Amino acid sequence: MDRSIARTAVFTGAIAGIVVIYLALVGMIERLDDLPIIGRVGMDTILIFLPAAVGGWVVTRPRVVGGERRTTTPGAAAVTGMAEGLVAGVVVELALGLVSVLGIETVRQVFSAVSPALIEIMRFHMAPVPAAVVMIAGTTFVGLAGGVLRVLPKEVRAPIASGLFAIVVVALLQRVIAPAFDQMNIERDWLYSPVTTGLTWIGGAVVFVLTAAAVRFHLGRWLAGILMPSRYPSAAPATAPSDAEGTNREASSEDRRTSLDAGISRRGIAIVAWCVIALIVAFLPYLVGPVVSRILGTVGIFLLLGLGLNIVVGFAGLLDLGYVAFFAVGAYFTAILTGGQRVTFTGYEAPAFGFHLSFYAALPIVIAIAALVGVIIGAPVLRLRGDYLAIVTLGFGEIARVIFGSTWAQSLFGGSLGMSGITAAKVPGVPMNFQADPRHFYFLVLVFCLLAVFVSWRLQGSRVGRAWNAMREDEQVADAMGISTTRFKLLAFAMGGAIGAVGGALFAVSLGSLTIASFQILVSITALAVIILGGLGSIPGVVVGALVLIGLPGLLTQFVDYRLLIYGAVLIAIMLLRPQGLVPNVRVSRELKEDERSQDQWAKHLLEQDATDAPEPTGGALT
Amino acid sequence: MTPLLEVAGVSKHFGGLYALNALDLHVDEGEIVSVIGPNGAGKSTVFNVITGLYAPDAGDVRFRGESILGRLPSQVTKLGIARTFQNVKLFPNMTVLENAMVGQHCRSRTGVLGAILRTPKTKAEEARIRERAQEALAFFGSRLSGYRQDQSANTLSYANRRRLEMARAMATEPSLLLLDEPTAGMNPRETLELRDHIKRMRDERGLTILVIEHDMRVVKGVSDRVVALDYGQRIAQGTYEEVANDEHVIEAYLGTKAVG
Repeated sequence: MDRSIARTAVFTGAIAGIVVIYLALVGMIERLDDLPIIGRVGMDTILIFLPAAVGGWVVTRPRVVGGERRTTTPGAAAVTGMAEGLVAGVVVELALGLVSVLGIETVRQVFSAVSPALIEIMRFHMAPVPAAVVMIAGTTFVGLAGGVLRVLPKEVRAPIASGLFAIVVVALLQRVIAPAFDQMNIERDWLYSPVTTGLTWIGGAVVFVLTAAAVRFHLGRWLAGILMPSRYPSAAPATAPSDAEGTNREASSEDRRTSLDAGISRRGIAIVAWCVIALIVAFLPYLVGPVVSRILGTVGIFLLLGLGLNIVVGFAGLLDLGYVAFFAVGAYFTAILTGGQRVTFTGYEAPAFGFHLSFYAALPIVIAIAALVGVIIGAPVLRLRGDYLAIVTLGFGEIARVIFGSTWAQSLFGGSLGMSGITAAKVPGVPMNFQADPRHFYFLVLVFCLLAVFVSWRLQGSRVGRAWNAMREDEQVADAMGISTTRFKLLAFAMGGAIGAVGGALFAVSLGSLTIASFQILVSITALAVIILGGLGSIPGVVVGALVLIGLPGLLTQFVDYRLLIYGAVLIAIMLLRPQGLVPNVRVSRELKEDERSQDQWAKHLLEQDATDAPEPTGGALT
Repeated sequence: MTPLLEVAGVSKHFGGLYALNALDLHVDEGEIVSVIGPNGAGKSTVFNVITGLYAPDAGDVRFRGESILGRLPSQVTKLGIARTFQNVKLFPNMTVLENAMVGQHCRSRTGVLGAILRTPKTKAEEARIRERAQEALAFFGSRLSGYRQDQSANTLSYANRRRLEMARAMATEPSLLLLDEPTAGMNPRETLELRDHIKRMRDERGLTILVIEHDMRVVKGVSDRVVALDYGQRIAQGTYEEVANDEHVIEAYLGTKAVG
């Protein structure tokens, strides 16, 4: 084994071990002890062994030596992975040994999570020596597995990795999947064991096989072809010009696979498929039950925030860190317009400017106010760009929070005690009670989310969206091309603010009461995280981002204490591995990744052209 | 007849450096005027003053006899002055067609409401924007049309980027086009092709053109009039032959004869 690789293996193994120790010290491993995944294997066990496996995967990555890309051979991968896993296990055992030497009580004075129970878990409820053997053998094995998995061909590697991942996801999503099975009267004991409440081994195997097969046979691409026939045009495009071969070749070969049957109209299939999705979305609350519906309501609110912020940051390129201001404006103005009462120490009092409008009458006013606030916030920062803009808007977010919570504005917004008694958004003739049945709220949020998606989508493809885009790419040139940057910046702030305020309004009616604690800077950061995770400027990305960042932590109550830790880890991972986001905007991903590829393609095309008839003089610099 | 563009006594200094020093310059309707001069003579600064990027310290810029000082670049563009940049500035991640469509921005009106509702008016306007943009691209023949329209601008060759920048400027439907070193970095063949393009812009599209150019074959080939700048001042003006033989110009380019 190469010395540098050996060094990397030891180093990575040590890091994997330290990660495990860290997870133990923050209490995550003990906390997740009661979260079974498959059979008797719990999330705690997975956390103990996952870092070593990831480490094995990492150390066997292809590396560039002297300008040459070298993939690791299977033998070398096995050895490197094992070495890495061994080191990881040894590091963890050393830490455990240290704890025994010092005594649990001593360590506990500094690291409060170190408890006898934690040590029991880390020792797999065994005596120290056999436990150490199991630990080191285990990490060595998963290191080996991770390393070998990496060097397998992609057609094997991707299905296996996805299958394993799916097992964990399906086990974690038990709260969604199990009630859905019950609702549809499907037997589920084969999948989720009634004894351990995790997956059964058989269920796990089924999940693994299904996922692996889906990944192996490109189910996702096939589905995408069905749902979006225009984006993935059919195999025999009448429109594709013959000279476009060089660029379209890749796409069309995929399409050949995706086209089901030339006889059936692809558009028809797409419509049917979308109807099925619409039906699922419409009946989702009845499938998953009230608890999950409440979480979906929260997802919807953050989806609105994400969509609004996406206009400001994703479309127009204005980094706004004070977006919570609009959320607060929406919530508080909805409160005072729909008859919310100020909470005081002695009881409830009417606000200085209170109205008793219905939610639907108040909403347009709230939207108008938020758009105005957007212009007010936007006007002073017109000349600022990038980091400066971010810092100033951060300040505006805090100003909004301070004003709404101040004693100075107490007669309006209730100060630090907040407001209560906000009238729910009732549809006449339909009994609705958000507190008693969150499913009603789901539908309300759904309607507004669909509206916001529609608005974003229409704006994106219009003259306005184009102007924002141009401004995002180069403000000075956009100005020189006749785009009034002042106007379009303010427009972005106003539109983004309006959509965010709708989120705030829904938040207010969902709870019926407000306190300033709900409008921390964390809201801005979360909304930003949602759109970064999903992909800046991408509308489907915002949806996925909200589901992952808001929905998953909501479902996984065991993880609640570690939500921010996981956010941070996820965002770092995304920035490193997939900076364009999970569902990227075509343009942004181009920006980030495809520069070189397209360059090569163009050069190749040019060479081909030159070879045939040399119509274009080459020699222009390729930049 | 008032000239289409008139730069009257414009001065602009950066710190102690006079980039422009009481410069007088005019362009008549339908003319192609070349601006030449050594590096740092203030050529690009003239463009930046005309398009509203810089405010001059003294003097006036008049377009169709009306002062355009104090207007924003976007307003100047809307009046009918379009420009290209010395170092090509496209919207690299927008497609070729989108780049040209941005040029049509100032000739269209659709706002937020129209965009959301996609009214018949909006649709008609969008179709018109697309058509005009394609028209501008078609000026350069097959170079920017066909499948290239849907490629992002950063996939284009250097020469095509320059062409696209000109097409985008033409898509703003200007009456005066300012080209800042359009042939910089092009090979001889492309340069000659571009020379013909500049002439065609005037002859076919009726544009008045003010062009900064270093390549003397182009200057000779296209110019009705040549203006030579040095140290922010006009040192000569006239036909190509007159300017090329002007002793001030020779001096500016080659330096004074050593004494002795």
